[in-house]
Amino acid sequence: MTNPVKIVWRKELKDAIRDKRSVMAAMSYAFFGPLLMAVAFYVMISQLTDPSDVEIDIQGAEHAPALIEHLNSNGIVQREKAWAAGQQPITLEVDESWAEDLAMAMPAKVTLTADFSATKQRGDINRIERAIESYANQIAYIRLQMRGLDPRVVRPIDMVKHDTATKGSRAAILMGSVLIFILLSVFFSGMNVAIDISAGERERNSLELLLSQPLNAHQLVLGKALAASSFAIFGGVLSVILIPIIFRFLPLHNIGISLSLDWTMMVLIVLMLVPLALFATALQLFVSFRAKSFKEAQTYISFLLMLPMLAVFGVEFARLKNPVLYYLPLTGQHQALLDIIKGESLQWLPMGISALATLLVSWLLIRFIGRMLASEKVVFGL
Amino acid sequence: MIEVKELRKQFGKVTALDGLSFSAPEGQITGLLGPNGAGKTTCLRTIYGLLKPDSGQAFIDGIDAGQQPLEARRNIGIFPDKFGLYERLTAREQVAYFAALHGLAGEAGDQATEAALQRLDMLEIADRRATGFSQGQRMKVALAQAIVHRPKHLILDEPSRGLDVMSTRILRDLLRELRAQGTSILFSSHVMQEVAALCDQVVVVAKGKVAAQGTTEELCELTGESALEEAFVKIIGTDEGIAA
Repeated sequence: MTNPVKIVWRKELKDAIRDKRSVMAAMSYAFFGPLLMAVAFYVMISQLTDPSDVEIDIQGAEHAPALIEHLNSNGIVQREKAWAAGQQPITLEVDESWAEDLAMAMPAKVTLTADFSATKQRGDINRIERAIESYANQIAYIRLQMRGLDPRVVRPIDMVKHDTATKGSRAAILMGSVLIFILLSVFFSGMNVAIDISAGERERNSLELLLSQPLNAHQLVLGKALAASSFAIFGGVLSVILIPIIFRFLPLHNIGISLSLDWTMMVLIVLMLVPLALFATALQLFVSFRAKSFKEAQTYISFLLMLPMLAVFGVEFARLKNPVLYYLPLTGQHQALLDIIKGESLQWLPMGISALATLLVSWLLIRFIGRMLASEKVVFGL
Repeated sequence: MIEVKELRKQFGKVTALDGLSFSAPEGQITGLLGPNGAGKTTCLRTIYGLLKPDSGQAFIDGIDAGQQPLEARRNIGIFPDKFGLYERLTAREQVAYFAALHGLAGEAGDQATEAALQRLDMLEIADRRATGFSQGQRMKVALAQAIVHRPKHLILDEPSRGLDVMSTRILRDLLRELRAQGTSILFSSHVMQEVAALCDQVVVVAKGKVAAQGTTEELCELTGESALEEAFVKIIGTDEGIAA
């Protein structure tokens, strides 16, 4: 006697693989998600590493050629173009008496005119201030040395900035968003199949006949859940493989980030996604078996997709650090993924427990859907 | 033999079955004739074990469908009220799926599937996907699904609805052949001619009860009418919801 679960699973899988829409949905998310992310990163990195020149109006440049040269070498140059409408001009005016004051060791005057409250220009103004300050410091040191003083006497405190951020942990900030894609891929990839084998079955009037066959409702649900999770895992595997490949083309090293996932880590991530895929599918079947049509199910499921997003973004932005998060479904996988990406030591016990918890919740959900389908109220909408 | 005893079922304030009892013996075609809303489909769903009766029982060869639905379902073939096909599967795959659900897998499943397809003369379309099948071809697939495991009982819910002449003939031939093989066949209908043409025994259902039972001749005799249609109208007391 063959197992009905296997029969249903095989049939649904065959059916789903022939459904181009389902296959496309599973692949496109896994493919375009990371690609989109990569483009966003690319733009961000080029902005971070390639500061363009600050163009300002410089008046009286002829009085202080050395200062101007210093400014130029710091990327602050004379503006050739007109200021854009709505943009406050930044003007640096060198006093006529510059050379004279310097020679007399009197404070030489430069005037910086700008809108100091303009947030967009804040960075530019800071750079001008820093450049002038560093020029002033250079002159001060030279003067002290000429008078036989150690320049260090005017620098009583030396603040050493010690950056404890490892390459990995800096990457984690960036990669946190990538993780969300990996986690969500299992929710997205199996979605179409899940709807088709539940609400779709009802819509094409085959549910009643199927329920009249000699198999338990929960065997039926389990077979269907396995078929949809197979798709979910397929999408998850695809995104786990594609993300490192796509990110290899990004100049991440320019901002001091390295992302390296060796294949053991990739296998581990996929293993973690397996219970999550079952969980995602069980949730999706739960809502779409209640729907009367494909469309209705899609509406419910789009609400359901908010759940993992809320959980993941919520933890990310609220900076929740509760150890319970390591043990729960979804957040457990999220935390473990974070640890993997940060290159921190893995907490095997919480990982195992969260995997078991995820499986248990999924199994309970599947049992519950089975009971639901044994109820005439749900099946016939009485 | 399919036996229904004192079935009662209430949906809210509506009484769907009100003490329905009848039996469909082996080697006979039993017609469940009644107007729309008489409780025919509810009765059949109870036999499949999809609905739980408030009281009463349905037996398939002595197995209580309410207590052991899986056992009961193993012995019946179902041609449902509305049948949806899996558009992306071929006719053969659909039939094989149902054979497998009835425990016929591998070699046995292939053989049973082939036999059912052959019996319904559908080998030509067997390896085509169901998308684009005509109504008659769809009916054949549904019929093949119902008989692939050679059930001793066959239940059909409004089988000839929406079928063309050819399909109806195929259906009738199949039912007669299965009857000759000793299958007990129960089918519900609100179409008088179909019942008159096929059935050995007619159970007239109205308002969830058996209004009359017997052969066509007996029913006519009972009411003193010469045509079944007149007899039927007389029995249920109205001509609402029936088709000639």
